[in-house]
Amino acid sequence: MISVAPDMSNKSSSNIDIDNLTKEQIALEIKNLNLFYGEKQALENISMVIPKGQVTAFIGPSGCGKSTLLRCMNRMNDLVDTCNIKGEILLHDQNIYDRSVDVASLRRKVGMVFQRPNPFPKSIYENVVYGLRLQGINDRRELDEVVEKSLTNAALWNEVKDRLHDSALGLSGGQQQRLVIARAIAIEPEVLLLDEPTSALDPISTLTIEELITELKDKYTVVIVTHNMQQAARVSDQTAFMYMGQLIEHSDTNALFTTPKMKKTEDYITGRYG
Amino acid sequence: MKLWFKSGAPWVWMTAGAVSISLLSVIGLLLLIASRGLSFFWPSDIHQFEIANSSGETSVIIGEVYESEQVPTQRLITSGIEFDKEQGEFVERYLIKTGNREYVELDFQWILGPEIVKETRPSGIAVFERSKNGNFYGFVDSVIVDGKTIRENKEDALFAAIDRAVDLNDQALDLQNDEIGAINYQLEKLRLKERKLELKDELTDAALRDLENQRQALRDEYKVYEKELFAFRDEARRDSVIVKDMRGELVTLPIFYVLDVSFPNDMNFFEKVIQYGKQLGKFVSDDPREANTEGGVFPAIFGTVFMVLLMAVIVTPFGVVAAIYLHEYAGNNAVTKIIRISVINLAGVPSIVYGVFGLGFFVYMLGGSLDQLFYPEALPGPTFGTPGVIWSALTLAILTLPVVIVSTEEGLSRIPGSLRQGSLALGATKAETIWRIIIPMASPAIMTGLILAVARAAGEVAPLMLVGVVKMAPTLPIDGNFPYVHLDRKFMHLGFHIYDVGFQSPNVEAARPLVYATSFLLVTVIITLNITAIGIRNHLREKYKSLEH
Repeated sequence: MISVAPDMSNKSSSNIDIDNLTKEQIALEIKNLNLFYGEKQALENISMVIPKGQVTAFIGPSGCGKSTLLRCMNRMNDLVDTCNIKGEILLHDQNIYDRSVDVASLRRKVGMVFQRPNPFPKSIYENVVYGLRLQGINDRRELDEVVEKSLTNAALWNEVKDRLHDSALGLSGGQQQRLVIARAIAIEPEVLLLDEPTSALDPISTLTIEELITELKDKYTVVIVTHNMQQAARVSDQTAFMYMGQLIEHSDTNALFTTPKMKKTEDYITGRYG
Repeated sequence: MKLWFKSGAPWVWMTAGAVSISLLSVIGLLLLIASRGLSFFWPSDIHQFEIANSSGETSVIIGEVYESEQVPTQRLITSGIEFDKEQGEFVERYLIKTGNREYVELDFQWILGPEIVKETRPSGIAVFERSKNGNFYGFVDSVIVDGKTIRENKEDALFAAIDRAVDLNDQALDLQNDEIGAINYQLEKLRLKERKLELKDELTDAALRDLENQRQALRDEYKVYEKELFAFRDEARRDSVIVKDMRGELVTLPIFYVLDVSFPNDMNFFEKVIQYGKQLGKFVSDDPREANTEGGVFPAIFGTVFMVLLMAVIVTPFGVVAAIYLHEYAGNNAVTKIIRISVINLAGVPSIVYGVFGLGFFVYMLGGSLDQLFYPEALPGPTFGTPGVIWSALTLAILTLPVVIVSTEEGLSRIPGSLRQGSLALGATKAETIWRIIIPMASPAIMTGLILAVARAAGEVAPLMLVGVVKMAPTLPIDGNFPYVHLDRKFMHLGFHIYDVGFQSPNVEAARPLVYATSFLLVTVIITLNITAIGIRNHLREKYKSLEH
């Protein structure tokens, strides 16, 4: 791992105190979350809040459970048969693991973008409107509007506006990832989960996506998992450091990178392991 | 040497050799069938042989040379044949198709090489293709048109007379099949209606009168058509042709029975090519005649394609739905494993077993119950309780189900999990994901399954003999009578046709080339079906090309 002090110069410091948030400022609240894959415990007693309208980054070495935690937030872990979850995640004071919760509508509120771009083998247009069509929206004008807006917000509109009905698979990797982001924001989620969204992309595409993330936080709460500490430092307002299934430290990004409270955090960000 | 073994070269040679042998045998098979089958339609020269046998009698034989073979002289001598001169070790023997079935004992005759005194190919020998008694070979003497004997320009007169008769016969046949057939169909419907009312105890006098009126109207209509039909036939009977046959006798052939005439010895190459194309076209588009040994095979082609398509329509949804359940919903436990193994093993059950099952379950149980529920008026005559095209399609659908299930499942497992997650993350339920993403993406694999299923089903004959195929079906499963598609009807099938013509025919010699021709046609039909399916699959593959990570 590279051991450089992250560049903090162009970082706008967030002006909230994550230990004392009002209800309106909280997007997600995780309470005493334990997760087991069969016998093995992957998350140990995690409690934290995700503030609204901010970018929260999770960093930590491979296998520390940061992706697992992210996938808990829209119940993607339900797909794993052996996965067993104890604890609560609250969205609008409602535990998303409650029996009465409809998983599909939860995932409409909490969208997700994956590590590798996964556009559907359909046209660019159909990719973007997929979520809307699922909700039964088929009005041509409404769909056109959403496509333009989402693609513009995902900084892709100018590149693809003349070939909306071409296959999405013809786009480059970076474009595909922005398309996937456009697809996710087309259904207006409250929270957008990004699972290492740039790890499969080249540096220039990475830069575009990072710029995009900073813009997205005006409208959505963004949670991002990343391997790359510089990236966390560049794009996030809050950073949480995880190690071996435990949440070690969670604070303002500036504070975490400049004055880490925990020894483990300091070791990690100075590149002593991981 | 050791180095050579180590280099892997022998391994490459061995594997490549295996591929070449397989390829060669497939190509050889196709070439054999194609050459034997397609050469049958070539208008070969008609030979005239003057023959003198050992006792000094001479005779003339006119016909096509069908086959020649080498026979050991010793064997001929022991069987009582004497030769004037000393012969070599082998004697050439020819099989001649002489036609003229009603005037000679056998329309195929063996003659021995040494007996031939003179062989010529005289011009002016006509080959008459007839709707009865097979071909006739001879010299046209004169044509009788409308009572007048024509000797000048007799060829032109003959062609004109044949065209006229064929045209009239066609009109009569159309009338018989369409108008008269429809009336018979309606009369049968009325009979069933009466019986239905009788069963329900609703057969009042008024209803009876009404039925009788309808029936009378149909009968009146029938009489008009019948008159027309007889008029056509009488017209067609007007002319005849007088032909000198190989015995030197003049024979009068009614042109009513003549379908076509040709003079192969007077044709140049291009005329022969045209004649060849004509014969081939007739083979593909005509109905069979004379216990299937003459004419075309159109009903068999139609029956084969129709049955296979019907089977494809049945097997695809069932196979796909079963595969989706097995792959997407069923838990990964022992029961699923047992089901999966059973499905694969189903593919190994001999097809005749499926035929027996189809007869017992579909025809007797299902069809019998359908008859009792919906067609009680036709009983004891069965409607669906008898072999028919729908039961054949269902039986073959079960036979090919494992293939579709297995290849669909393979296709499902190749779809990247990231796409499923992507769809789920957008708020789709599992069912929506399957319907909108998984099935379209698995469609090339489904098509692969269908291709294999079609290939297997189109060639299957044994089970069909129990559940619906017949030697000669009077009507096609689709016609102009409501409800247009008659799934209860029996049908003809190319595979069964091959068996029937080749082994059940009264005239094996005449039928043998037809066996090759029909085999070639069956292969062509299967290849066409497959190429169509492969085309669709490639199109789908292009459309749903998997993501390249």
